[in-house]
Amino acid sequence: MSCQRCQEKMVDALASGEGAVHVELAAHLRVCAECRKVHEAQVHLFGAIDSGVRAMVDVSVPPSLLPGLRARVAEDGVARQPWSFTWGVATVAVVAVLAVSVGLLMRGPGNSRRVVDRSPIVAREVGGAHSVTPRQPQVVAGAPIHARAQHEVARAPQGGATAPEVLVLPAERAAFIRFVTDLPEERDVAVAFTRPAADAKDEAVEIALLQIDELKLKPLESSNRE
Amino acid sequence: MRELVLIQPGRTLEGPTARESDRARADREFEERLAESGPLAFRVAYGVLRNAADAEDVAQEALLKAYRNFGRLREPERFRGWLVRIAFRLALDRWRSAKRREKRETEWNGPEQSVTGQTAEELAVSSEFEARLERAMEELPEKFRLVLLLAAIHGYTLDEVSEMLGIPMGTVKSRLFFARKQLAEKLR
Repeated sequence: MSCQRCQEKMVDALASGEGAVHVELAAHLRVCAECRKVHEAQVHLFGAIDSGVRAMVDVSVPPSLLPGLRARVAEDGVARQPWSFTWGVATVAVVAVLAVSVGLLMRGPGNSRRVVDRSPIVAREVGGAHSVTPRQPQVVAGAPIHARAQHEVARAPQGGATAPEVLVLPAERAAFIRFVTDLPEERDVAVAFTRPAADAKDEAVEIALLQIDELKLKPLESSNRE
Repeated sequence: MRELVLIQPGRTLEGPTARESDRARADREFEERLAESGPLAFRVAYGVLRNAADAEDVAQEALLKAYRNFGRLREPERFRGWLVRIAFRLALDRWRSAKRREKRETEWNGPEQSVTGQTAEELAVSSEFEARLERAMEELPEKFRLVLLLAAIHGYTLDEVSEMLGIPMGTVKSRLFFARKQLAEKLR
């Protein structure tokens, strides 16, 4: 066995924690002083490593470890309970505030005016004749009207049972009033706006190809400049 | 001490009483594990941090996490393995952040002056070796380092380490072999 091979084997044996030296290795160590010296140094080194690592972990545990942990567990429990409790209270509070706010918005004195102001103008077909007149907005004091109710008010039959209705956006209200007021004579135009379009079927349109009879094609003449 | 709960005849324990009873049982089981697992977590953390106060804090943090997850960790081996890993990981995190802080401070304050008043040559050699060993340990792969630390803790056999980490015995031995060999190469 060569010295290099012997030293490799001895390191492997010591690293694996084998106490007994292999027979072949022991035979080499008996005759090689150099390797014996290296072996002693390696044994010393591995011994130092083992005791050093043991010293790193074999320390006395502080007596405050477990009491400290119990205190942290208790704190954790206490801290967690209010957390969920706080969230519960916060949720209830938010719901309550929302409910009160919605209620106040619906019942507030200024609100009814605002809601009715946004009510649509109704164009109505009265009797057999087509007449389009702007309707004055009705004020329903104190009545909670939300979007759906507003829609239902606009659709509710008033006067003529089959009167057609036109929903107008609040921003377009003034313009629509002007339009309806300015066109009392031209009923047909107004009716065209307020009546649904007749069910007319579209007919296919054919476009004939353009044909030019007297068309003569002449070859291009090259100019002198080219 | 055995806990007694009064139940009406023909009825089973349910609702808040059952939950409280389960909780009390879990707390008792956790308390039983603490006697062994608390010191184990502390030693693993100390092996990384080399500072008792920091190791205690880390061990408590790891045990608190274990307490919160105790429902899933009732089996003793699973509990120990989980705790050891979490303590090791938390300790490594703390060690790294401490190193970063130390590096920043060194950059600001200049090189640190050694003020150790060592008189005995042997102590100086020992301290020097200890410092080199620590540095060599820090350079080891984490999985080697954890096995090395656990195997060095007094009272734990390689079988127990294998069970604790949930890895085969052969893997424990090979990790230990490579860890020791790498340390010897660095310290030679």
